[in-house]
Amino acid sequence: MNKDGHILTYILFVVAQMLLSNYFHFTPYVMLTILPVLVLFIHPKIGTVWAMFIAFGTGLAVDCFAEGLIGINAMSLVPVAFLRRPLIEAIFGNEPFELEESVSVRKYGVARVSLAVVVVLAIFMIIYTAADCAGTRPFWFIAAKCGASIAASYLLSMLIINQLTYGDRR
Amino acid sequence: MARSRSVGARILCAAVFILLETAAIVMLNHNNSMQRLWTMRLSHGFMAKTWGFTQKVRGYFSLAGQNEELALENHRLREMIREYEDAAKATDISLQSVTRDDGFVYTPAQIIKSGTNSQHNYLILDKGSEDGIVQNSGIISSKGVIGIVDAVSRHYSYAISFLNTEVNISSRLGGTGAVGPLAWDGKKTDGAILKEIPLQYRYSPGDTVYTSGYSVIFPPDIPLGTAGDASIINGATNEITVNLFQDYTALKFVTIVRNTRAAEIEALEQTREDKDNKRKR
Repeated sequence: MNKDGHILTYILFVVAQMLLSNYFHFTPYVMLTILPVLVLFIHPKIGTVWAMFIAFGTGLAVDCFAEGLIGINAMSLVPVAFLRRPLIEAIFGNEPFELEESVSVRKYGVARVSLAVVVVLAIFMIIYTAADCAGTRPFWFIAAKCGASIAASYLLSMLIINQLTYGDRR
Repeated sequence: MARSRSVGARILCAAVFILLETAAIVMLNHNNSMQRLWTMRLSHGFMAKTWGFTQKVRGYFSLAGQNEELALENHRLREMIREYEDAAKATDISLQSVTRDDGFVYTPAQIIKSGTNSQHNYLILDKGSEDGIVQNSGIISSKGVIGIVDAVSRHYSYAISFLNTEVNISSRLGGTGAVGPLAWDGKKTDGAILKEIPLQYRYSPGDTVYTSGYSVIFPPDIPLGTAGDASIINGATNEITVNLFQDYTALKFVTIVRNTRAAEIEALEQTREDKDNKRKR
């Protein structure tokens, strides 16, 4: 897939997230998000600084076009971009950056990819839920919401990963 | 070269991260009052913990100096007790009878915040109205006068430091010498000026300056500093520079003094003023 294809896919998933945020509220305990996975799978050629700007812009776009608090997605997504490189290096090694190829399930296995997805979802969800509740909800509610949201978002993220792993589909 | 580039890149990453997070938090706070309160609570909690920790560290590292000061004060007090005991033996009276009731109540306190960098310095002490502290109580240490209590809450007192250009303390030059107001010179933390000393009064540089006891705030005979050079003001009085004993930059423990007879003295003064006013009419 070429560069324009990557960008288009990314934008389509951001629009999908806006739809999810607007129309898919099943319970107060579950928030569906694919944003952390989108940021995790930004092409390794793109450095951390640019990844953080992309994450900020993405979060802000979702904040503006979906129901919610302005700034909350941006605030929760920038740390994911900030930790993206050390996380990938810790779980997959330096290879994705040296070869400049995306992390894929076929190459690295479901377990390692799942671990990376769960970690970025946890970072995002903890910040998002804490800021959303703003100290008004008890700890058990925040923990339950984080847990349920991570589980639901993990399943959704694993479904779309194949569309994001560009190198895998050549 | 590559290493310094890597460090630079990390600093850039951290700076961009902080910048973007700050921008996001500002947006979040600007649009939502609940989130604004939450962030304020978190930041205040963080500041309180940091402030408390730095105070503890500072207190720990100044322990040696404070111990030395306490040891010296102990020594001085023991000397005083010995002198009183000797005096009691010589005059064949009990120790109790030579102990003077000067009407002052002494409360030890700790400074929890202070400043020495402006012209109007202040202190916050850890004793308040619950500890019997009232407005216009004096604050002293073994080395001089520290300030005057200006406002009192239940647990804390706000005091104007002696290092404040508005504070004057009635002081005496030498054991039985001339009396005049002593004020901070506004330049150094250990410098003060003793004003309105009559020209005919002779003194020697190095003479000790004490509190006079003429005010209702401070007890008499607290040593404040040593006299330095004099200069004649308007051909009428001398102004004498004073080198203060107290180091205001390393101050932690003080004593608050409250004059239990202040109200009685002030009421007497007021009666006298009222009589004068009636006579004038």
